Amino acid sequence: MTDADTVTDADTPSARVALEGLGKRYGDVVALDDLTLTVEPGELVVLVGPSGSGKSTALRILAGLEEATSGRVLVAGRDVTRVAPHRRDVAMVFQDYALYPHLTARDNLAFGPRVRREPAAAVTARVERVAVQLGLDGLLDRYPDQLSGGQQQRVALARAMVREPAVFLMDEPLSNLDAQLRLAARAEIVELHRRLGTTTVYVTHDQAEAMTMGDRVAVLADGRLQQVGPPQAVYDAPANRFVAGFIGSPPMNLVAGGGALGGEPGTVVGVRPEDLHPDPTGAVALTVTVVEALGSETVLAGHSGDGSRLTVRTGPRSPCRPGDVVRLAVDSARRHRFDAATGRRLP
Amino acid sequence: MTATTRSAVRFLAPYAVGTLLLVAVPALLTVGYAFTDHTGLSTPRFNGLANLRRLAGDPFFRASLRASMVHVAMAVPLRLLAASGLGLLLAAPRRGGRWYRAAVYLPTVIPDIALALLFLWVLNPLYGPLNQLLGAVGLPQPTWLATTWGARVGVVLMLLFPIGEAFLVVLATRRQVNARLYEAAALDGCSPFGQLRRITLPLLAPVLVLLAVRDLVLTLQVNFVPAYILTDGGPGNATLYLPLYIYDQAFEFLGFGYAATITVVLLAVTVAFIGLQLALVRRWRVLR
Repeated sequence: MTDADTVTDADTPSARVALEGLGKRYGDVVALDDLTLTVEPGELVVLVGPSGSGKSTALRILAGLEEATSGRVLVAGRDVTRVAPHRRDVAMVFQDYALYPHLTARDNLAFGPRVRREPAAAVTARVERVAVQLGLDGLLDRYPDQLSGGQQQRVALARAMVREPAVFLMDEPLSNLDAQLRLAARAEIVELHRRLGTTTVYVTHDQAEAMTMGDRVAVLADGRLQQVGPPQAVYDAPANRFVAGFIGSPPMNLVAGGGALGGEPGTVVGVRPEDLHPDPTGAVALTVTVVEALGSETVLAGHSGDGSRLTVRTGPRSPCRPGDVVRLAVDSARRHRFDAATGRRLP
Repeated sequence: MTATTRSAVRFLAPYAVGTLLLVAVPALLTVGYAFTDHTGLSTPRFNGLANLRRLAGDPFFRASLRASMVHVAMAVPLRLLAASGLGLLLAAPRRGGRWYRAAVYLPTVIPDIALALLFLWVLNPLYGPLNQLLGAVGLPQPTWLATTWGARVGVVLMLLFPIGEAFLVVLATRRQVNARLYEAAALDGCSPFGQLRRITLPLLAPVLVLLAVRDLVLTLQVNFVPAYILTDGGPGNATLYLPLYIYDQAFEFLGFGYAATITVVLLAVTVAFIGLQLALVRRWRVLR
């Protein structure tokens, strides 16, 4: 393949996306509250949060499929808040793919260009090129119901690529795939993003996808932005109790100050499962109730003397059995403190 | 035979018996009577192809066939257009939508006879509301049932109202279509009309074909009541549809044998029309 065959940064100019004070209400329900977020050109930002956190609403407002109650949307410096979806230069991949069931994969890819009355020869060439890039070249004459879930997902992705947009919007594109396929597709999307260099906003409820895919992650809960930053930074220094509990699997141990993990009253102390180490001189005594041997690691769950539930991540082939008492040492440098009232991180 | 199949057969048996006794046997008898001089008064005698020869030279039959063809050509497309147009228009949830949907369905539950009597009044050239409306906006006021085409159009007008079943089928099918498809199309700049043409109609096509075939069968037959009440076949046999002519032959003139022959022809005409429809469906690649 020569350079001319490859879609590169050169022919897909990437755009900066800015959400400024976005708000969305449905009657009395606040779906999105004052969301401000900038996505740099070529960046992949993951919006992550539990269901009802407002992440999909934010994406749909960005796409123009829903109207914001307040705030502005800017794409490449242009205010597109009141601009029709197709004039925003964005392409979207839907959770259920939204492939036209009555059209072949080829016609699905060519749908947009045909609607825009682009020259047929150019459309054909672009469809073929994108299909080759995504390994769909043998499947173009099949209908969506003749394709596997993974293939449908690729067709959906390819349809967005044919658009050659300035911004990709992806709404949980992997959540309908089985676990193994999801892992492979995750890597493929990251690789594709690296190759195309197109600004991408990716919505997911899966914190593992957020950690592995994003240049930055933006954590949402209850319609509010909780924290935004590089995945590792968010993991290492969660801004509040919600982020601490949401990012990371198994989740961070959070115990009221003065309890098993130390700290003073009025605070909540958090320690990640991998920062609790079995140590005969350790201060915490854990009564093990569940042993999950995952092959590469073992997760121990149990409770300490004061009844706090704790999870510990240890090496493979742990000798522990339910009922055992294990003494644990806390890596004090990796102890997080949060205000018990506000949930905010304390220095 | 598995237990499930056996119980299915038991449950279906009453319908099978009913279909056999009420449809299959009379249909076969009709085919048999088509070759007799049956009058309902004397023992029917086999008379060969005499009925068919009579049919070939019967000007009333030719008028009746023409009336039926013209009626189907007008009624089926218009009824389908009305049902699918209203179905698509009222599928989206909107304030008060249920009242509009109920209003569209309502004429379907009115008995044919009542609707026909109502239309006798609606189409009255002197005091009927339709002509008063036309007059009010300065349009010509035809004498409807007194002219050939006025009568034909009048019957079709009446049959444009009982379309509730096709309306419901279109409504339900439209609601099954994934809303995301329209969002994806909107992102590609597809206009509402483009979405109708490129998404809705192709996805509705199988159902529309089914409804067209069904309505054809129906329309060839349900015109009996309006014709009987509104026009009695007139003026000048313009609305002497095949069912009406069959009725006249069988019960007015006691020509059961001849009526049976026309009934068989009506069946053949129906089958031919369905064949034509399906050929067009294949030719135009309506279905994938």
